Amino acid sequence: MENEHVLDLIPEYLDGSLDNETMKNIQRHLEKCPQCQQEVKEMEALLKAFKNDVVPVPSERLKSRFEEALEAEKAAMGKVVPLSSKTKKYDWASSVLKIAASIALLVASFQMGSVFQQKKIDQELAELKDENLNMKQTAMLSLMENQSASKRIQGVAYIDEFENPDEAIIQALANRLLNDENDNVRLTAFEALSKYTSSETVKHVLIQALEKEKNPSIQVAIIQTLVQIQEKKAAEPMKKLLENEDTQPFIKEQIKAVLPSLT
Amino acid sequence: MEALSDEMIMQKVAEGNLDLLKVLFDRHHKHVYNFLFKMSGDRMLSEDLTQDVFYKLIKYRSSYHMGSFKSWLFTIARNSLKTHFTRHHKTFEDIGILAYQSAEEVNDMTENNAHLQNALNRLSPEDRELIFLNRYQEIRYEDLAEIMGSTPGAIKTKVCRILKKLKEIYLETI
Repeated sequence: MENEHVLDLIPEYLDGSLDNETMKNIQRHLEKCPQCQQEVKEMEALLKAFKNDVVPVPSERLKSRFEEALEAEKAAMGKVVPLSSKTKKYDWASSVLKIAASIALLVASFQMGSVFQQKKIDQELAELKDENLNMKQTAMLSLMENQSASKRIQGVAYIDEFENPDEAIIQALANRLLNDENDNVRLTAFEALSKYTSSETVKHVLIQALEKEKNPSIQVAIIQTLVQIQEKKAAEPMKKLLENEDTQPFIKEQIKAVLPSLT
Repeated sequence: MEALSDEMIMQKVAEGNLDLLKVLFDRHHKHVYNFLFKMSGDRMLSEDLTQDVFYKLIKYRSSYHMGSFKSWLFTIARNSLKTHFTRHHKTFEDIGILAYQSAEEVNDMTENNAHLQNALNRLSPEDRELIFLNRYQEIRYEDLAEIMGSTPGAIKTKVCRILKKLKEIYLETI
């Protein structure tokens, strides 16, 4: 390198941006080479001119506008919020309020939830009851159609489960009372119906049963019930029973005893 | 904070610490302004464009992925200037005329300064830009290569050649 010109390295040499060894090599070469010395001198003058060049300075406006833009961006981002001690105090108070509010919200929603839950349970319960009644009714009606007399009695006895039996049940009981071949079933059906004597249908059925019934004990029971509710229409069938030869004597006596109270 | 490199700071800015951009602004806004002023010769325009460069820094902070910060910054600055001149229907050559005119107009210019300016104005715009970046903005050859899309060796050779040429012009006129 000592014998080669170093023209291409002069700018960097003057900038001092070369490594130590290269710098030393260039210095050694420069000592012997006037041409390169001249080049260094000239380049030094140019670079000095650059260094002495007046560098324009931007106005303060630039900085303030930049900071404005930065603040705007920070606000838009909404993430970095500097907390001064003042706002910290405020935050403490507001966080207590926040906690209080959240507890209140929690309690309120719990209450609301339990109210709704209760309503729902009630509704479900009602539905279940309803369903249960329907099932019982179905069971009752089908039991009453059973061939076994004891099952039919069991079916009739189900009437206790219903507070307000509907027309279908009354009709089924009436069928048992009027048409069942078994005395016990008819008697049970009568007992069931006797609880609902306020119903016109039931009254009508009882009068019909009085006309048809052959079993004396059931006849007595029907007569007693009809007298108890003071059913005037029962007088006619009772008179017929008196005239009927098949009627048991003690039944006739019974009728004779109660008939005056009906007419 | 002073000890942190531009790249580390910019990385933190990209992650959301916007306040650190102030540090980068303080470090570099004069260089950017100076470069734009040398290129355009217009103080107001240079301020507006410098402003624009740092707006873009805020806006595109998340697109910064390490790499030389200075290269990134001056790439944005060059693009802003180019966009400005394209928008105002001026070719790159016109910048030369602009710079020349401003050199004539500035009154507080020293003798030395005017000579240098005149010499610079006789370079091609591309050469002049390279010299501005190399001489005034203290940009390393590696970063310069990145900005210009070249290799550090090629840039070094080019800068050296331009300086030689400029020196001839400069000494002629003195």
